[in-house]
Amino acid sequence: MAVCFIDPKNAVEFKDILNADKEFKIAARYMTKDVCIEAGDTKCIVKFRDGVVTQIKSENAFADPWDFAIRGSIDSWEKFLQPIPPRFYDGIFGGMLRGNFRMEGDTVAALSHLWAVTRMLDIFREQQNK
Amino acid sequence: MVKIDKVIGKYVHLTVQDVEYRVFYEESGQGIPMICQHGGGGDGLEWRHMLNDSDITSKYRVIVPDLPYHGKSLPPESVEWWKQEYQLTKNFLFDFYLELMRVLMFERPVFIGNALGGFLALDLACEFPDEFRAVIGVNSALKAGQSTRDTFNHPCVTNDYRRTNAMYFCGPASPEKYRRECTWCAMMSPPVTKGDLYYYFKEHDLTGKTKLIDTSKCAVYLLTGEYNPTKSIEDTKRVSEQVKGSKFTEMKGMSHAGMPENPLAFKKYLMPILNEIVEKSKK
Repeated sequence: MAVCFIDPKNAVEFKDILNADKEFKIAARYMTKDVCIEAGDTKCIVKFRDGVVTQIKSENAFADPWDFAIRGSIDSWEKFLQPIPPRFYDGIFGGMLRGNFRMEGDTVAALSHLWAVTRMLDIFREQQNK
Repeated sequence: MVKIDKVIGKYVHLTVQDVEYRVFYEESGQGIPMICQHGGGGDGLEWRHMLNDSDITSKYRVIVPDLPYHGKSLPPESVEWWKQEYQLTKNFLFDFYLELMRVLMFERPVFIGNALGGFLALDLACEFPDEFRAVIGVNSALKAGQSTRDTFNHPCVTNDYRRTNAMYFCGPASPEKYRRECTWCAMMSPPVTKGDLYYYFKEHDLTGKTKLIDTSKCAVYLLTGEYNPTKSIEDTKRVSEQVKGSKFTEMKGMSHAGMPENPLAFKKYLMPILNEIVEKSKK
């Protein structure tokens, strides 16, 4: 199973789906951050400007800066993206407590914007299982 | 037709550790008294389904207090509380409940609590076995794990953190309307979560003390959610293995939030326990 949000083919479509989601619009209000989502040795950077996702960049993102990162193995993300994930993979915070995900960088900003990030990841799950 | 809940809300004035508190509590039903303790940073709203369930209130007098500084129980008027960091201690919890029971004249109540309340259930069973006929610990453990206290009272961390935590402290298949209600309740609480977690992370530790729990005096029932990431079913099984006579049940599909995340599923696990306590109380 591929991790859908890393695939560059999905970048534009996923950006539009996020920006059209009613809950995501509220959750991401005022957010201006670059968020790195890393799966194993692959990653994408989701760029937020004033609450809108302006780009999901997974190609040529090697040296791009980011404010905070959510990191997990491919296996962890595959479990997370299942329609009903197994225990300790159903949420980022709980997954972090159990060592399945890691948060790095500006963690205070990450916690403050956790609603936006988790809604984004839930939307990615919906897309993974479409 | 007008629908009015049978739940009654009252205030009782309690003096605990030389300070008077005006404590709000809700009450419903008749029978064996059962005190319901909310989790850290929460309030009595967590138990609203229990208060309104006639299968329970036909046998139990359900009492749901808001601890001081929580819900409708404001900080005390006689204390300059704004000059000190709020910190909930085990001794305060002990003194609070013994005084509440004395003033409201409870005779050997059942105590049920989730998360922080689940920890307290075990501490009460350990310290006051003659005062309680049974405790029901929801998401209980010998001690807490990695502390997340500081994240709950940081001026730069928004309330969105609390709401998101609450959402994912519910099982992924729990009904969305209840998961969202949990997020709403989490956002309403004042910044007491960090102080509550002082007891949770720093004070509750039953390591080496489980032998002191005598289930022939105070029965111990343990319920833990399959998905609970803070204290797992394995953590609670460890308690159950050490407390002779205790009974442990895994709540499939449920997580850390307990009753409010999925009231129907919770009831399925709770009712056999409540029925057993009723039968034991007849003897």
